[in-house]
Amino acid sequence: MSQSLLQVLDLEKYFPVRGGLFSRVQSYVRAVDGVSFELKRGRTLGLVGESGCGKSTLGRAVLRLIEPTGGDVRLNGESIMGLSHDALKAKRREMQIIYQDPYASLSPRRLVGETIQEPLDVHRIGTREERRAKVEALLDVVGLRKQVLSRYPHEFSGGQRQRIGIARALALDPSFIVADEPVSALDVSVQSQVLNVIAHLQRERGISFLFISHDLAVIQHVSDDVGVMYLGQLVEFASSSDLYGNPKHPYTHALMSAIPVPDVHHKSKRIVLPGDVPSPMNPPSGCPFHPRCPKAMSQCKDVVPPRKNAGTEEKPHFVRCHL
Amino acid sequence: MSSGETQALLSVRNLTVEFTTRYGPVRAVDGISFDVNPNETVGIVGESGCGKTVTGLSLLGLVPSPPGRIVAGEILLQGRDLVSLPEDEMQALRGQEISMIFQEPMTALNPVLTVGSQMVDVLRRHKKLTRRQARASAIEMLAKVGIPAPAKRIDEYPHEMSGGMRQRVMIAMALSCGPKLLIADEPTTALDVTTQAQVLEQIVELQDEFHMAVILVTHDLGVVAETCQRAIVMYCGEIIETAGIESLFDSPRHPYTRGLLDSIPRLREEKRDELPVIPGMVPDLLHLPPGCRFADRCEHATDTCREQRPALKTSQQSAASVACFHPLD
Amino acid sequence: MSAALSDHRESIWGKAFYKFRHDRMGMLGLAVVLLYFIAALGVWLGVWGTGWADVDGPKWAPMSGEYWFGTNIIGEDIFQRSIYSTKTAFEIGLVVAVLSTILGALLGALAGFFSGRWIDAIVLWLMGVLDSIPFYLFVAAVAFALQGNPWAMHVAMVSTFWTTTGRLVRGEVIKLRNFEFVEAARAIGVPQFTIVFRHIIPNTFHILLVQATIVFVAAIKSEVILSFLGLGVQDGVSWGLMISESTLEVLAGFFNNFIAASALLFVLVMAFNMFSDSLQDALDPKKVAAS
Repeated sequence: MSQSLLQVLDLEKYFPVRGGLFSRVQSYVRAVDGVSFELKRGRTLGLVGESGCGKSTLGRAVLRLIEPTGGDVRLNGESIMGLSHDALKAKRREMQIIYQDPYASLSPRRLVGETIQEPLDVHRIGTREERRAKVEALLDVVGLRKQVLSRYPHEFSGGQRQRIGIARALALDPSFIVADEPVSALDVSVQSQVLNVIAHLQRERGISFLFISHDLAVIQHVSDDVGVMYLGQLVEFASSSDLYGNPKHPYTHALMSAIPVPDVHHKSKRIVLPGDVPSPMNPPSGCPFHPRCPKAMSQCKDVVPPRKNAGTEEKPHFVRCHL
Repeated sequence: MSSGETQALLSVRNLTVEFTTRYGPVRAVDGISFDVNPNETVGIVGESGCGKTVTGLSLLGLVPSPPGRIVAGEILLQGRDLVSLPEDEMQALRGQEISMIFQEPMTALNPVLTVGSQMVDVLRRHKKLTRRQARASAIEMLAKVGIPAPAKRIDEYPHEMSGGMRQRVMIAMALSCGPKLLIADEPTTALDVTTQAQVLEQIVELQDEFHMAVILVTHDLGVVAETCQRAIVMYCGEIIETAGIESLFDSPRHPYTRGLLDSIPRLREEKRDELPVIPGMVPDLLHLPPGCRFADRCEHATDTCREQRPALKTSQQSAASVACFHPLD
Repeated sequence: MSAALSDHRESIWGKAFYKFRHDRMGMLGLAVVLLYFIAALGVWLGVWGTGWADVDGPKWAPMSGEYWFGTNIIGEDIFQRSIYSTKTAFEIGLVVAVLSTILGALLGALAGFFSGRWIDAIVLWLMGVLDSIPFYLFVAAVAFALQGNPWAMHVAMVSTFWTTTGRLVRGEVIKLRNFEFVEAARAIGVPQFTIVFRHIIPNTFHILLVQATIVFVAAIKSEVILSFLGLGVQDGVSWGLMISESTLEVLAGFFNNFIAASALLFVLVMAFNMFSDSLQDALDPKKVAAS
């Protein structure tokens, strides 16, 4: 039975908005507004949503790269919230991150070899020869040649840099990796290469991923469970097959129908949502989706919908909707 | 590919655009030819570096000129060659007969001017309207692109608007003089999926209403499938396939097109299988192979493919073309 | 799944070097600067310019085979003095440039990285204070305080020239701080100070190099005025001293001293500026980075 690797409980990240003469705090941007979910060992959770929904903030808050303002994160049952600097550093070995922008995520003035080896150096793992050997082994895993080590990041293409980033994340043998839009900035033909690397890591090494993306098709390809975010809240959460086969939240419906499908015969009844994604600085009252929701009722404006389980105990299908 | 008596609106013949780099000249676009008919939506698809954006820019004479220039070919807009046109005539043309919208609306719109003043500028330059007339025309245009309360929004600054709205303002500006051809360079790539859907729908509606042709430059095959009637696939500066939209997606003839379509993750598929991959990488434009540029990544490649460059051949029945010695069937 | 690598290697410096090489003005500037540098080196090694203090010539001798530039009012060989001054100039320029750049880089990086916290506030305050003190007053004060120590001038210059570099570095670091590779380093557990030194400062080298060349020129120019005021070079000779000495001579109609020193100074400053400008163009990260 897969045990729980990561538990997120009512996680909140509010950013204060300062203004006025003395930079007083005027209001808060609720980037992450009470999110809870569980990630089991060996499984991948896909987090999908559009810009401003808070998915990137959530990914970083889970690793405490951004300090949450409320809630709890538990790794292997142990809370990481109150940990001291050193204890947290030790925990960092278990959880790593790969980024969207292959150009900004590697230091331009450091050799690739140094970048990949750095985690080992910082945590003082092994001797120098052992570290070197490990780095070379990592290159194999991601499909890059040894010559890569003595070059600079700008000499490589986006897909190759992304692989370098993955190698760096793997250096400490984490059990859990947050992947923040890792393929969004890549060309289609390169996307599939990098996705295959990730799939390989899932299968062969049993690494759990928190895979963040705005692309539902990519998410379906890599995830076991999927969470849909809107304005800082998790509006739907289910196993991949349940979500795609039987979406319950109106936003999920709209999102799925909005994706342009590369298939000419696909006749979608496209649900075009009115308006734009509202800014997280001024979230609507009640259910955050109500101004754009084609099925909004009067209570949607006033009451934040509670989380209901439309599935079973073992296979939950959580939805936040009044319907 | 002109149909019957209608002459093609735009005819590009053997267009070649070269950039000077420290290692020598590089041809971002290497001898491409295609037509665009009036009222037609054509997609130019390809990945980064294939030359599609440069193609779009060269139609308007906007290729940045110290490193790049058009070294060969013709661009005929209703018979008139744009390549040899002097700059002042080109300026009269831009916005009036051909318009362009770009990927990133934030940088395409001037952040220190209100939306209204930018639009009025364009209108007065091309149509010699008074300020009041131009303003009224601009408000009307904003309404047409689906911006609510246009009379109020016209005095807003770009940063006060959302991405989708800015993109629509850019479309409004581009269409305000009723051009015959709109070039849209990745217009929705920077937008959210739900906004993307809105903007694409808008473009399709407006195209109908304004009777213009649209060239949609994009890397997103899904967008092409939804909005275009014909598609042109580019690879490494060359056109490797053109076809009507249905036959392109149902039975692509070039192995690259096929590979691209296969490697896109789609909804409702068998999850977690290995995605088919096009092995290798796009060749360096400085070290192009002598033969077909796709040969070293193609599983059907033969010696002929490696030694000779395949020419774009049009088939008789279907007005589709492919540049391959062994096209798929 | 192995990926092909391009065959030609290209470093950021390589690209910059290429751009620079094709910039004629810059290359000319560099050539002249190198010429001066060789002159200075020769003096430093004792190869030439040794007779700068000898007073055995006639007063105000015209240019001749023996005295290439003639002699000054007390019979010193102007040519020897001019050549010796290149050493003085480079010494001041290099010492001040290197030290102020290091100081500016350190304080600027710390201020930028910890922007919003007290380190930043202190450094900014310090910059503000130093920038508002009139430079020559400050130097005078330092000179008096150090009781005529020959390094007084250097100390004064370094303590004021670092602020520009510091501000530029601070701005760049604030920008770099938001790049993901910094967060990635944190995610690995790299301590903050290590991040500043190993990740951030190396990414400001293009700024540092250009600033160093600008400070070099500023130092030389400042020395001229300081020597004029008597606060400059105390032992040895410099173009500034020569110009200052020549004020009396010029009134009497003897221009050699003045012209020699001014011309040499002008040419070096001009050349260095040209070099510095094209260096800045070549290293411009917008043109050099990932293309």
